Amino acid sequence: MATIQVKRRDGLSLAEKLYIPEVMRGMVVTTRQLVKNVFGHQDIATRQYPEVKKAYPERFRGRHRLTWRDDGSVRCVACMLCSTACPANCIHIVAGDRGDEKIEKYPVSFEIDLLVCVYCGMCVEACPCDAIRMDTGTHPMPSFSRDKQRIRKVQLLEEGLPSTARQGGLGT
Amino acid sequence: MPTLKIDGQEITVERGTTILQAAEQLGVQIPTFCYHPGLSIAANCRMCLVDTNKAPKPLPACHAQVMDGMEVWTDSEKVKRTRKAVLEFILLNHPVDCPICDQAGECVLQDHYFKYSAQPSRLFHRKRHKAKAKVLGPNVILDAERCILCTRCVRFCDEIAKSSQLTIVNRGEKSEITTFPGKLLDNPYAANTVDICPVGALTSRDFRFRTRVWMLSSERSVCPECARGCTIRVDTFENVPRRYKPVHNPKVNDWWMCDAGRASFRDYLGDRMEGPTIVAADGRRTAVSTAKAVEDAARAIQAAGGHHKVAVIASPWLTNEDAYLLARLLTGALADARVYMGGRAAGAGDDVLIQADKNPNRRGVDAIFAALGVTAQPLASFAGAGVETVVVFGDNHDAAESVLDAIKAVPRRVVAGTRMSPWWQLATTFLPLRLHWEKDGSYTNFEGVVQRLRRAVRAASTCKSEGWYAMKLAQSFGDALAFDTPQDIFAAVASAVPEFAGLGWSALGDHGLRFGEGAAPAAGPSADAQMEASP
Repeated sequence: MATIQVKRRDGLSLAEKLYIPEVMRGMVVTTRQLVKNVFGHQDIATRQYPEVKKAYPERFRGRHRLTWRDDGSVRCVACMLCSTACPANCIHIVAGDRGDEKIEKYPVSFEIDLLVCVYCGMCVEACPCDAIRMDTGTHPMPSFSRDKQRIRKVQLLEEGLPSTARQGGLGT
Repeated sequence: MPTLKIDGQEITVERGTTILQAAEQLGVQIPTFCYHPGLSIAANCRMCLVDTNKAPKPLPACHAQVMDGMEVWTDSEKVKRTRKAVLEFILLNHPVDCPICDQAGECVLQDHYFKYSAQPSRLFHRKRHKAKAKVLGPNVILDAERCILCTRCVRFCDEIAKSSQLTIVNRGEKSEITTFPGKLLDNPYAANTVDICPVGALTSRDFRFRTRVWMLSSERSVCPECARGCTIRVDTFENVPRRYKPVHNPKVNDWWMCDAGRASFRDYLGDRMEGPTIVAADGRRTAVSTAKAVEDAARAIQAAGGHHKVAVIASPWLTNEDAYLLARLLTGALADARVYMGGRAAGAGDDVLIQADKNPNRRGVDAIFAALGVTAQPLASFAGAGVETVVVFGDNHDAAESVLDAIKAVPRRVVAGTRMSPWWQLATTFLPLRLHWEKDGSYTNFEGVVQRLRRAVRAASTCKSEGWYAMKLAQSFGDALAFDTPQDIFAAVASAVPEFAGLGWSALGDHGLRFGEGAAPAAGPSADAQMEASP
């Protein structure tokens, strides 16, 4: 059996009791850090947040966006698979007739309640059209009203980008 | 009677039975597209091909009749291969646009594909394109690319609607369903073709893109639009009815219902009046509690100065239970009151389903009133002379201007209604009512079939049934009239009304019971289960 030596402190030493030397010692640490911060930026652990943002990892599930077709229209066909898959019931879609021969359906309104969303990514998994993505790399911003957190089709498309995936199935 | 073996199980059936029917009796499921129990047999989809010892090639089970000593295999390797091949051919030019197809979720092709095929397409050529979103009539829209040419819709128009408006034109892969030149699919039963279409080729224009079907919750109920009382499913989403669908009931409507009934749910969606209101002499409306409103109604009746100066307008829209409670009120505390029977005016009828009487429960209300000794005059004879208080139950009354004016001349007008209507406008006390899909109860159709009405939608807590108000009024006049559940009321109806004798609430089941069928057991669910498996 090994024996563990435990060293106990028996109160403060004389140097510590004198107080001033210890204060000086602390000031040295502080001053050294100050000099380092002023003259050597590169080693600072603190990030200058609103100006400098940390890049989230590539697979970070951030705020949603809706992708576009080549002509800039919304890629979503309002199949409601995302709102069906959504465990938080935060996606509200109203479908309409696009009057198009090939793809008849489109979302008249598409709303996501970010306050209700749990950022699970199930909507992205469920989407058969690569129409909804969570790869904006941003998180929801604070706002002064709950209503502002219900993001609508326009906002979702503003963040959007064209998708290169083929739509309409094979052999079309 | 031939005896045969299906998948090793022996069964003896009537001569002329098809293999499919025999298999159904054994509980063996054979997949089908074109077969529909309510239509003639076409045997064109080939999905039901089964292997037998009587023929070298597989036989269509929906068409082939059984033979003595026949042995049938519905699940052999050969049959499985056949089904897979049939599905591959059917899906060859299918657009597979399930995400935007309204049928997705209740599509037989989807179900069969996952169960019997589940293989990717091997077609390298371009798919054949046909008409998309082609309007066939006021209620039906066609996507010819999704069509599998089973001809269920063509046979329906020929055999049930007797309108022969649909046909198949062209041959081979160019075949397409269409209407005859210059014709529309506008018969009064056209939307049934949407129900029987096994794929998403024919879809409802009314329901188009509104709700995905898997989000709907359903409750069996009765269509209130005419005295036929077709058995329906009220499909709701977020506590709002989204569509009616007919449900198979051999006693009433088979598999069908009319388009007018199907579209009628929209009439009740808007303009709901859900708050009990008292209207002062100067026209000021005060929202009050239900108890206050009932109290006010009772006071209005007492203020008439004798119950012979009270007129009560009953309705053939009352459920049997509500009618019983109202009849108890009208034979108890208000025995002296004059009773009028309102309801909607008669319309056109036909010899398929639609009845001229546009009220759902006239037969039941009449039977209950007759048995309890309530005699009602027609509402058209209401003159208003000597009436001090009028109590109106329901707002589905078609009344002439003169009658409305006569009612308006009555000083105290208690109206129990559901929505904004002329009746709401003339109320001095308004009692909010539940709609038919917010009630548990029963309706009796013109043939005396008593069917359950099931609550599909939660009503606002202020909305009550006509019977509840009748009961509360009777209680406020000192009558001992107290029931808790519609079951209890129905039991009381069954013991008090000879037509209802022997009928039990739970025995009404899915198909309802005809007057006098009390002792008979409820009909078997076999045909129904089949219908639900392949709508």
